[in-house]
Amino acid sequence: MTASAQASAEPILLVRGLYKHFGGIKATNGVDLAVGRQEIAGLIGPNGCGKSTLFSLVSGTVAPDKGEIRFDGRAIAGMSAHRIARLGLARTFQIPALFDNMSVTENLLAAAAEGHWPGAQERAAATLALLELGHVADNRASDLSGGQQKLLEFGRAVMRQASLILLDEVTAGVHPNIRKIILEAIASLRERGVSFLVIEHDMEMVRSVCDRIIVMDSGRVVTSGAFEDIVRNSEVMQTYLGRPQ
Amino acid sequence: MAAQPMKSRWPGLLLLAVILVVLALMPLLVNNYWLRVATGALMWAGLACSWNMLGGYAGYINFGHSAFFGLGAYVTAFLMNDPFGLPFLATIPAGMMVTAVFAVIIGAPTLRLRGAYFAIATWAFAEVLIQFASAMDFTGGIGGIGLPPYLNERFFYYAMFGTAALTYLVAWALFERSRFGLKVKALRDHEPAAEAMGINTALVKLQTFVLSAVTASVFGAIFAYWVTFINPKSVFGGDITDQMVVMVLLGGLGTLWGPAIGGVTLFVVNRLIWMHWGDTAFYIAILGAAIVLVVLFLPNGIAGLFVRRKANALEKVAEKLIGGGGER
Ligand SMILES: Nc1ncnc2c1ncn2[C@@H]1O[C@H](COP(=O)(O)OP(=O)(O)O)[C@@H](O)[C@H]1O
Ligand SMILES: [Mg+2]
Repeated sequence: MTASAQASAEPILLVRGLYKHFGGIKATNGVDLAVGRQEIAGLIGPNGCGKSTLFSLVSGTVAPDKGEIRFDGRAIAGMSAHRIARLGLARTFQIPALFDNMSVTENLLAAAAEGHWPGAQERAAATLALLELGHVADNRASDLSGGQQKLLEFGRAVMRQASLILLDEVTAGVHPNIRKIILEAIASLRERGVSFLVIEHDMEMVRSVCDRIIVMDSGRVVTSGAFEDIVRNSEVMQTYLGRPQ
Repeated sequence: MAAQPMKSRWPGLLLLAVILVVLALMPLLVNNYWLRVATGALMWAGLACSWNMLGGYAGYINFGHSAFFGLGAYVTAFLMNDPFGLPFLATIPAGMMVTAVFAVIIGAPTLRLRGAYFAIATWAFAEVLIQFASAMDFTGGIGGIGLPPYLNERFFYYAMFGTAALTYLVAWALFERSRFGLKVKALRDHEPAAEAMGINTALVKLQTFVLSAVTASVFGAIFAYWVTFINPKSVFGGDITDQMVVMVLLGGLGTLWGPAIGGVTLFVVNRLIWMHWGDTAFYIAILGAAIVLVVLFLPNGIAGLFVRRKANALEKVAEKLIGGGGER
């Protein structure tokens, strides 16, 4: 098998035995998971179970203590964040990490500055239209409402033209209209071949967009499967829902 | 910029054209004393712009920028004297290269760390250069070093004018109108997010720092030739950096025209005080008061009065310095 054929047979993201401890806190404690090509996988689990940390490890924002991460057939554990991003992996931050002093348009353009630059202006305009942010295009990012900030956080990831996008609670606490915009954008990107790993607390949203659910608890993956199977497994639901959110 | 799409850009361009014409005709309009003041004002406007490249656009505070001004000055002085006796213009690229090498040596390890480490490292570097230049024979020691006098006020005026104009043109093209500027401002506002967008923040910071330092070295070279005599304190002194910082804060951190407004304003105030009271410590008190007033009442500087904005670069720089703000 050629290298590329081998790569395409492999899941887009493969994580094996991933550890990250902050002092005594075992944020991830041996995570194993995979995300298939063109799959939308949901990642759920109680607060503090290590979901966001997993995103930071995969995207290179934080270096892992131990473990294997393969993205698109390449070992990326410990690689710098900008190199991983250039390989085609995009992420959002749970707390919007916008470029506050820059306009909405500049935020989108900055996301494309290290990527496919020709046509970036047009793609920024299209993203503004898609996310219905056109009327605030020239506003400073810090002047946006909470929901608009979430949209922009999502929009920057879209501008990356990534093959895998990690979304960290992008629809948490946003207006239903904004949520709908994001969900439709996710669906249409998937049609174009993009894979997603989505951290989400809203079970209705998980049910409606995710092909498969991955459940984490205390720094590891407990189980994964179709939404209905996961819900039927009452033990898992207790793990997830039985704790204060 | 894009903040007010309704407003035409013609008034601004017209104002710029008028300013450029007045500056170009300055030697015909004023006497030699005021021509010297104008020469100095242009130098400070240019220096403030060079400091702002890293301090304002990237958010990394350089407390030792005088080091690079001084390196340009000393390299020119050294190479114009025996045994080299190089022509002035030939010394400038040499000073730029020496400066670039030192900027890489200082910046590569420290720009990766929190802003505070970089601020301390640059401050220490300037202090080391003062001591070094004071101790060495080839620099003329504490007494300093003379340059072949060239008593042509117009030449120095136009040298500063041309260099300052080029500095602002480069700053505009690079930081306000290019992909590079987007990367620089992105890393200032949120470094982990910039990295997640594929931006090699360590490299972009280093490139900005080298550009900033090299620009200051050119002004140092012209300054040395202009005043025909330099010593460690007169070109490496901490007060030179202090003035640049205050000029930028007063005019508007991270804006294109802020450093020009702040630079010209403070330098002219400085000259007026000097004319009336001579060389007093009064100016230092004014500098200090200016910093306090800007931080309290004008967080976006004078330039900030003309554009409405809530967020401000000063906060971002403070975050960089203290290391707070967002990670994750
Ligand atoms: N940078 C950090 N330093 C110390 N502890 C951290 C850091 N990031 C996360 N943690 C801790 O790791 C655990 C997992 O956090 P996180 O990954 O944010 O959980 P989740 O996203 O699932 O709510 C928590 O106990 C959190 O306090
Ligand atoms: Mg989280």
